[in-house]
Amino acid sequence: MPMPFRARGLPPGHGHRASCSPLSPLLPGPLQPPPAKGLYYRRARQVGALDASPAADLKKEILVNVGGRRYVLPWSTLDDFPLSRLSKLRLCRNHEEISQLCDDYDEDNQEFFFDRSPSAFGMIVSFLAAGRLALLRGTCVLSFREELAYWGIEEAHLEKCCLRELLRKLEELAELRQQETLHLRQEARRPSGDPSRWGVFMHWLRETVENPHSGLPGKVFACLSILFVATTAVSLCVSTMPDLRAEEDKNGVPRLATGLLWEPETPGPLPLLPPGPDPWDPGVTAQDLLFRGGFSFRRKPQAVLDVTEQLSRFLWDHGDIAFAPLGKLMLENFKLEGAGSRSKKKTVVSVKRLLQDLGGHQPWGCPWAFLSFRQRRFSILGGPVLGKSVASLLGELLHEELAMRWEQLLLDDAFTGGALAWVPGKTPQVGQLVYPAGGALDKLYFQEVNLTPDGDPQALGDPGHIQLRGPVRQVVTCTVQGESLLAVRSDYHCALWKVSKQGHPAPLQVLQVGKGASGISLSPHLPGELAVCSRSGAVCLWTPQDGLQQVYKDPETLVFWDPSPWRWADFTAHPRVLTVGDRTGVKMIDTKGPPGCGLLLFRGGAEASCQKGERVLLTQYLGKCGPEPLLPTVHLICTQFSLYLVDERLPLVPMLKWDHGLPSAPLWAQLQPPPRPGHPQPLLLGGQGGHLQLLHLAGEGASVPRLAGPPQSLPSSSDSLSAFPLLEPRSQWRLQERLKAPTIGLAATIPSSASEPVLSLFQLSAAGDVFYQRLRLQAEPRHHSRAPTASWTPQATACCSRWLKTLLEVPPTPPVWAAPTFSNRCLLTQVEPSKVEQKVPEGLRAAMAEGRLLQQRDLGSLPSVEPPPAPEPGPENELSARLEAAWEGQVAAWWEKQQGRSSGPRKPPKRHKRRTQLSNTFSSLSGRLDLSDATSPPHSPDRTSSEARPQPLVTPPSQELTQELWAQGVPSERQQTLRDYMAKLPVQGDAPGEVSSSLSQTATPSWQQTLQGGATQLPPRRNPPRGAALPSSQTSSFQATPSRQQTPVLSGSQRHRKKPRMGF
Amino acid sequence: MSDFSEELVRSKTEDEQEESCMFSGTGMSFPWLQKHIETVATGGKKEKDFAQTTSACLSFIQEALLKHQWQQAAEYMHSYFQILEDSDSYKRQAAPEISLQHALYLLHHGMFEDANRNLSHAETWRYGEKSASQEVLINLIQAYKGLLQYYTWSKNKMELSRLDKEDYAYNTAFQNMLNHSGKMSVNLCTLIQTPGVWDPFVKSYVEMLEFYGDRDEAREVLTNYAYDEKFPSNPNAHIYLYNFLKREKAPREKLISVLKILYQIVPSHKLMLEFHRLLRKSDKEDHRKLALEVLFGVLDFAGCTKNITAWKYLAKYLRQTLMENHLAWVQEEWNSRKNWWPGFHFSFFWAKTNWKEDKALACEKALVAGILLGKGCRYFRYISKQDDQVIKKKIKRIKKSVKKYSIANPGL
Repeated sequence: MPMPFRARGLPPGHGHRASCSPLSPLLPGPLQPPPAKGLYYRRARQVGALDASPAADLKKEILVNVGGRRYVLPWSTLDDFPLSRLSKLRLCRNHEEISQLCDDYDEDNQEFFFDRSPSAFGMIVSFLAAGRLALLRGTCVLSFREELAYWGIEEAHLEKCCLRELLRKLEELAELRQQETLHLRQEARRPSGDPSRWGVFMHWLRETVENPHSGLPGKVFACLSILFVATTAVSLCVSTMPDLRAEEDKNGVPRLATGLLWEPETPGPLPLLPPGPDPWDPGVTAQDLLFRGGFSFRRKPQAVLDVTEQLSRFLWDHGDIAFAPLGKLMLENFKLEGAGSRSKKKTVVSVKRLLQDLGGHQPWGCPWAFLSFRQRRFSILGGPVLGKSVASLLGELLHEELAMRWEQLLLDDAFTGGALAWVPGKTPQVGQLVYPAGGALDKLYFQEVNLTPDGDPQALGDPGHIQLRGPVRQVVTCTVQGESLLAVRSDYHCALWKVSKQGHPAPLQVLQVGKGASGISLSPHLPGELAVCSRSGAVCLWTPQDGLQQVYKDPETLVFWDPSPWRWADFTAHPRVLTVGDRTGVKMIDTKGPPGCGLLLFRGGAEASCQKGERVLLTQYLGKCGPEPLLPTVHLICTQFSLYLVDERLPLVPMLKWDHGLPSAPLWAQLQPPPRPGHPQPLLLGGQGGHLQLLHLAGEGASVPRLAGPPQSLPSSSDSLSAFPLLEPRSQWRLQERLKAPTIGLAATIPSSASEPVLSLFQLSAAGDVFYQRLRLQAEPRHHSRAPTASWTPQATACCSRWLKTLLEVPPTPPVWAAPTFSNRCLLTQVEPSKVEQKVPEGLRAAMAEGRLLQQRDLGSLPSVEPPPAPEPGPENELSARLEAAWEGQVAAWWEKQQGRSSGPRKPPKRHKRRTQLSNTFSSLSGRLDLSDATSPPHSPDRTSSEARPQPLVTPPSQELTQELWAQGVPSERQQTLRDYMAKLPVQGDAPGEVSSSLSQTATPSWQQTLQGGATQLPPRRNPPRGAALPSSQTSSFQATPSRQQTPVLSGSQRHRKKPRMGF
Repeated sequence: MSDFSEELVRSKTEDEQEESCMFSGTGMSFPWLQKHIETVATGGKKEKDFAQTTSACLSFIQEALLKHQWQQAAEYMHSYFQILEDSDSYKRQAAPEISLQHALYLLHHGMFEDANRNLSHAETWRYGEKSASQEVLINLIQAYKGLLQYYTWSKNKMELSRLDKEDYAYNTAFQNMLNHSGKMSVNLCTLIQTPGVWDPFVKSYVEMLEFYGDRDEAREVLTNYAYDEKFPSNPNAHIYLYNFLKREKAPREKLISVLKILYQIVPSHKLMLEFHRLLRKSDKEDHRKLALEVLFGVLDFAGCTKNITAWKYLAKYLRQTLMENHLAWVQEEWNSRKNWWPGFHFSFFWAKTNWKEDKALACEKALVAGILLGKGCRYFRYISKQDDQVIKKKIKRIKKSVKKYSIANPGL
């Protein structure tokens, strides 16, 4: 088409031109009568895969490769579809934008790659070319709809007949399937014959099929997959239809109880208690941790930790920590060694100027941040030195931390078992919820709750609480022989309480776990017995009679090697046999038997037909519920994919396997007693993301557990968003975040009452909120196939509104600083200059008018800011003392003092400049050297005057120093500097006998500090230490060893120490 | 269409395996990992390619099923089946499994002939290389066919028992049965050889063998099933063998040796009381000692605490043992239990509860408690203080026995 070409978006090198001009809509293409044959071919054509460079004029045409099939389309074809994805490609200006739209772009062939279905795109191409969007036979509706959405083509373009055809086909199929099943069912009825005999055989066969213990092999149960559930369910959905059901009932074959359903009373859980006063921060997300962007990532997304970004953020946000000690050591001027070719003028950097240039803090992402040439030069010169030490030290630590956070994000096993418990009270209706709350989850709350049979549960009074010293991870409760016991696990402590009938907890025992506890469980057989397992692989049993005894220890995992230190222990039907679980399997151990022996109960592997990478997340003994459990020998084992029920009498072969399909880690399970005698027991399974599933477990005594009805998924707290009133976006977002907070605990109870059973379910979220929902048992088979949908009652919405009001009263966490996006010009004109101009507003106005950063010099003298708190003082040596002084910004004074002590009354040498070389710092770091002033005479009073001016160095001969020692690891070019430095050191002394080791071997140096600091307390900061204020410095020697393990601390070395700021 | 499905498979295998292993470093795979990456990749926007739509469809089905929205699930299912209809190699290999599951469903609903047809189809299904897992599956399918044949066979057997031997129909029925049994043994044999838990198959196979009088073969099958090292430890295997031997009237020694193994595996089994009776009657000293051990073992378990027979046996046998001056036996058993049995069985709570629920049980327990713990034990004291006319005599007898046999303080 004769249209003017105009270069669009793409850089010139790409050479893509578009035929789109401002005039093009006015020049309709179809006006020119093209030859009938080949019109569509011109609008789009397919090219062979072997054609490396298809005969296409790439200025007029676009070459796309969709799933291996290549098409050439003239740009003009796309003019009619400006919203389509291909048209958008034309507007792209750079690579980045292209990659947003397609999966890859080959610059050489100028080919756009799309990783989409080629056949669907074939239909779309024919639509683009011919204008008719018709479905080919055998295309999936759903996926084709998605394809259309991807390519940016409206569904409305679909041919009417096609659309109708599709709908019709769908209906037809549904009908066909229905008839088929009907037919099958009628056939099945025929051979029924003699009912009594039939019944006998039926019974037997049903037993075999349903009862894996006496019947069906475990293998088959292990084969239960989602497909099976799906197949069964489709048939089930047909069988629930009324006309079919009537026939089936006549048939006399008992069916799976499809009507069995715990029906939620509300569409989602409701908050039970008002929100706590602490704001909640969701913490790091995947977006914070993972690297994103880049072509390869878009083609095949992978999880790669973004250390660079995090490191740079860290350096920006905590530059003081990263650079300050090192930078302050350098003092005013320093020379960057190793850059021999550069002149002195370029290598000596004045820190004063540099700081002036920085002019304070330049926040991350600030559009007006700028770099002066001095800063640039400094960063170029100092980069190799600073970058190395920072990156090697910090980078490693940061990577470790990020990897840990990422693993925690994927699976946070600290809350395994759940931190919420229901302690039954005097009557079945009243009980206590025990849960941790507070920002750090370190307060254990006891909230009395009244479960009314018809209304919502009511919190009675204010909760009592116990303040603990660590975050609560797990709360377990068990009632044995009429005694209610409560056990709590923190990271390093476990505690046991006995709860009286009145609900008052009385402490029984606190246990400390050195390596960290990973799980606790209470014995369902003997009151007060507690099993604790530690991350070191040890399992201990605490009994009131015998106290604590270790019953098992194995740092290795059971079946194959796995790095996770997570361990779990629970009880079995035998009170002296425990199960020990880790990520790979579960073992039964006899506490009376010899150590190390045991029997594997579950093995992650072929017996249970586990998937690759499947790991045990939770094991639980199901015989706990009630005084007379119906399943006394069954254990529940949950992995991230499936749920297994294993009988301890028949180990290794699971009785039942079910794909739970939870989208988050299932860390909580609760088996409730049957609501009515003979009814299946509800088993609740909770995921970390708040997802809940309910299974109906049947089978009692000797028979095996089986699923008595189709499993149910229950509403999670994010489903109750609709109960809240509409809010402005910011508050709405806050509410959403709060409701999406991960769950950390689950508790349930069925108060036995005369009327229909109601299951009360409580969930604790990481934000400290307790949500509840009530489920009503629907035992009667329903005759309609659609589940009734519960709706919000006015009370529920009122409750939510009240809760929300309290929530919004809590001030949100202050947002992180972000670059401003507004213009300051309008602000400048609007604000009238006030009469009384001060220096600060004046400077502010000036900076705003100039559009530059507000710098410190604009504001004049500001109140000096507190430097960040000093880190906890480590072992005593010269280096750490020096670093600490540097941190506090008094390195000069320190140095003088040091020199004054070592040199005494000697004359200061003339060489002043060399003192502050950068290499000084490094030589003291890398070399192993001894500084000793044992030989120096008592300091003279003239030291007080010496502190006013820079204390010069003395240069005694230091030939005793062996070069081999300190020269190791020092670059050759620095050795000269180092040697010079060494030359200035005082004569080496032996420091005889003054080492007071009793003070030095300290696990808690800060404590030592106070003990000594009482006498040798220094004057506050900014008052340099006077000689008079330093007692006993004469009698002591000073020794600095870079090795940190064995650092002797001398009493005299305390004198220049500042009052520690942390650790008190 | 095949392009679609291959995409489906590829994305599944690659994404799940490589990624999960790559960075977590633990070898653990996370089903929710993909979601995390997706939010990062798309910045929260929904952008799905074909493979994702199919998996989304699957998750829709799952969700609808779990919320009991059958109608909706069925609608999604149609969309999903279209994708599977002409499926690729991966899905085709899974076909027998699906068939088997369908057959199980049919069995469950009593549609035997359909199930049989289905299994025959599955049996003859061949696609690609036969993998090891597939082989087991084929075996299983054959075994289920065998099970169905057993069903017909035993129906025939029942008919046969009603017919007169002289009847003409008898012969045909007998022939029919033989026919079925031949097929059945072929079908079941291979599966039974493979290690696993095959209780119903073994049971029906043995029944058939017994019917035709092939006792040696039956014994061999059962012995193999119970004792082969390769098979998982299965208490049922020993129970079947024991019951078979009992039917055979095997010598007591033989029965004891079978039950000894069962005792090792499941000390709480109800056959253990029978085992105790066998041992009690034995002449050997060590068997008599074992008889005491077995009783203590049974009562260790939480599920057996209210088993009145076991308590009765224990009370009686304790008396008998002490009468025979085997105090060491009792003490050996008691020593390992004396720190937890008092709390587990003889607590005050249990004394009250047992007395309220079952007075006979309370009496037996009180006797045992008195013998083992002495007169001062709370359980014994509580029961002996009860003023009940009906069992006054019994309590008196208990008190006498306790006084005579109590091991708590032998000096007194």
